[in-house]
Amino acid sequence: MSSSELLQFVVSGLQNGAVYALVALGFTLVYASTGIINFAQGEFFMLGGVLAVAGVRFGLPLPLAVVASVLVSAGIGVALERFALRPRRDSGGLVLIIITIGASMVLKSLARHIFGPNEMALPAFTPGPPVIIGGAAIDPQVLWIWGLTFVVVVALTLVYAKTKLGRAMRACSLSHDAARLMGVDTAGVVMLSFGLAAALGALGGAVVAPLTQTAFDVGARAGIKGFAAAILGGLGSPVAAVVGGLLLGVLESLSVGFLSSTYKDVISLVVLLAVLFLRPQGLFGRAGKEKV
Amino acid sequence: MNTQFKMVVAVLAALLIAVTGVGCSGSGSGESTGDVAEPYRIGAVVSLTGTYAGLGTPEKNAIEMEMKRLNDAGGVNGRQVEVIFEDDATDPAKAQAAVARLIEQEDVIAIIGATGTGQTMALRDDIDRAAIPQVSMAGGSVITAEFDELVFQTPWPNRTVVPFTLRQLKERGLTNVAVISDTGGYGKDGHDIIVAQAAAAGVKIIADETFNPGDTDMMAQLTKIKSASPDVVLMWNAGKEAAIVAKNLKQLGMDVPLVGSPGNGRREFIEGAADAAEGFQFAAGKILVPEAYGVDTPAYDVATAFISDYTKAYDVAPDIFAGHAYDAFLVVTDALSRIEGDATPAALRDAIEQTSGLVGIGGTFTYGPQDHNGLTEADLVFYRVEGNEWVLAK
Repeated sequence: MSSSELLQFVVSGLQNGAVYALVALGFTLVYASTGIINFAQGEFFMLGGVLAVAGVRFGLPLPLAVVASVLVSAGIGVALERFALRPRRDSGGLVLIIITIGASMVLKSLARHIFGPNEMALPAFTPGPPVIIGGAAIDPQVLWIWGLTFVVVVALTLVYAKTKLGRAMRACSLSHDAARLMGVDTAGVVMLSFGLAAALGALGGAVVAPLTQTAFDVGARAGIKGFAAAILGGLGSPVAAVVGGLLLGVLESLSVGFLSSTYKDVISLVVLLAVLFLRPQGLFGRAGKEKV
Repeated sequence: MNTQFKMVVAVLAALLIAVTGVGCSGSGSGESTGDVAEPYRIGAVVSLTGTYAGLGTPEKNAIEMEMKRLNDAGGVNGRQVEVIFEDDATDPAKAQAAVARLIEQEDVIAIIGATGTGQTMALRDDIDRAAIPQVSMAGGSVITAEFDELVFQTPWPNRTVVPFTLRQLKERGLTNVAVISDTGGYGKDGHDIIVAQAAAAGVKIIADETFNPGDTDMMAQLTKIKSASPDVVLMWNAGKEAAIVAKNLKQLGMDVPLVGSPGNGRREFIEGAADAAEGFQFAAGKILVPEAYGVDTPAYDVATAFISDYTKAYDVAPDIFAGHAYDAFLVVTDALSRIEGDATPAALRDAIEQTSGLVGIGGTFTYGPQDHNGLTEADLVFYRVEGNEWVLAK
C-alpha cells in the first residue's frame, strides 16, 4: 500500500471520526451532568440534517438554515429535559434512559411524518473540487467538519476549565447534592447540558449532510457510533470523546484498507468489546469513579 | 468499574429492545366493504421506511392510484379490489411478520411484494404454507431462480440485467471492471452474477468491494478501487447509498465512469449525488424515456397514460419502481379477470401463470410453467444521466 493510500484511509477515517466525536460529545455532556445515557442523542444528529434541509427548502440561506437547525434542535433538547425527564428525575437512571429511548422513537416518527421517508440532500457549505494533500483527496466539506469539530472542542474545554458555568457542570458531575448545597443551580446545569448535547449532535448531522445526505432514520446509526466512541474514550471529558470518535473512525477505515469491507463494523465492535472487558472505564476514564 | 459497566449493559439491552421494537406497520387502505359482492382482498408488503423507503413509496402510490382507477371503472368481474398495505421497514424479519398478518388476519388471495429481494425471500415459507400466489417487485434473480410455483416477479431479474450491462461495458471498451456492491439481498445477488458472468462477457474484475445498507461513507472501499486503476466502476445496489458512492468517487478525484443497476433509476439518486450523478449509466426498462418503447406501440400508450396519471396524482413523474408496482397490480388483476368461477388462490396462481402478451410498464409479460419472470433483454435500454435528466446512452 502506498503512503498516499494510507493517508487517504486516515483522512476518510478522521472525516467519519469527527462526526462520531460530535455525537459522542453529546453523550459525554449529558452523562457528566446526570449520570444517564441519553439515547435520543442520535435523533438530534438526524434533526440537525433534516431541519437544515427544511430550512434551505423554506428559502433560508444555507448558513442561516444550519444555525437555525442547531438552535431549534437545542431547544428540543432542552424541552426534552424539562418536560419529559425532569418530572421523573427521582425515578432512577433506568427509567430516565427508557424515557430517552421513547423520545428517540417519537422524534424519529415525527420526522418521518413531517419530512417523508426519502433521503434529502443539503448543498455543500463551500462547493469546489477536493483539495489534494500528499496524494490524498480531501473534500472542502471535510475541512468544515474538522474545523467546526475543533472549534467546538476547544470552546467546550475552555468553558469546562475556565468559566463559572464549567465549574458548576463539573461540580454536578461529582455530586448533585453537594453542588446544590454549594449554591449551584443543578437543574439549570442539567437542562443546559441537554441543550448543548442536542446542539452538538445537530451540528454533526448538519455538517455531514452535504456528503452523506440525510433522512428521518439516520439517527439510530449515528447514535450507536457516537455511543461506541464515547465508551471508547471513557465518557469522561470532551477530549476523551473526541479522541474516541476519531479513533473509531480511523479504525473502521483502516480495517477496510487492510482487511475487508465486509468486516468494517465487526472490527470496530470487537475493539469496543475488548475495551469494555479490559478497561471498562474507557481509554481515558478514571477507574472506580462512582456515579450517583 | 461496576456502576458504569452495569449501566452500559442495561443501556445495550435497552437499545436492543429499541432497535427491534421500532417501525410502524402500515394501515389498511380503508376501502369500505361494498354493498354488492365482497371485494377481492390483496395484500401488499412494501418498504415505506428504511433503506428502500424511496422504492416502496412510489410502489404504494402506483398501486393505490391503479386500484382507485380500476374500482371507479367497476372493479374486476363486478367486484371491487382492495389492497391492504404493510410496511416491512426494509427488514426481512418484519416482512415475514407483515405477510403472516396479511394471510391470517386479512384473508388475502394474493401477495404483491416485497420491495426488496431479501424481504421477498423472507415471505416464502408463509406463502408456501398458505398456498397463495406472490408477485414480487424486487429484481434479485434468486426470487425466480429458486423456483417456486407460487412466486412471480415483475422487474428484470439480475440474470437478465447483468449480462446486458456487462455487454454494454465490453462494447464501450471498459474491460477492467471494479465492482462495488451492497451486502443486502439485491446487491449480493447481482454481485454473484457479475462474478459468474464476467469471463463470458469478456470483462475482467480487478477489484471487488462491498458496503452495508445504511453505510454513509465508502471512501475507504473506493480508495482500494482507485489503486487498482479500473476502466469503470460497476456498482450494484438499489438503496440510497448509491448517491454516496457517486459523491465519494468524485471526492477522490477519480475520473472513471460509474455504471449502476436498474435500482439506481431514481430521482433521489440524481438529487443526492448532484453533479456527481452526471454521466452515470445504468440499464433499466423503458419508462424513464418512453420514446424507447417506440411511439407507435401499445407499450408506449400504456406508459404515457401511466406517466400522465401518476404525474397528475403525485406531482412527480413515476420511476421504474412505480412501474414494477403497476405491473404487479396489473398482473394480479388481469389474472383475476380471466378466472371463471371461484377466485381461489389456486385458480389465481394458474391464471397468473397463463399471462401472455400482457403489456405493462417494465415490458410485455408472458409467464409460463418454467418462466415466472416473463421479461427479456429486449425490454431493457441503457441510460445515461445528462443535465440531471435520464437520456438514452448511445
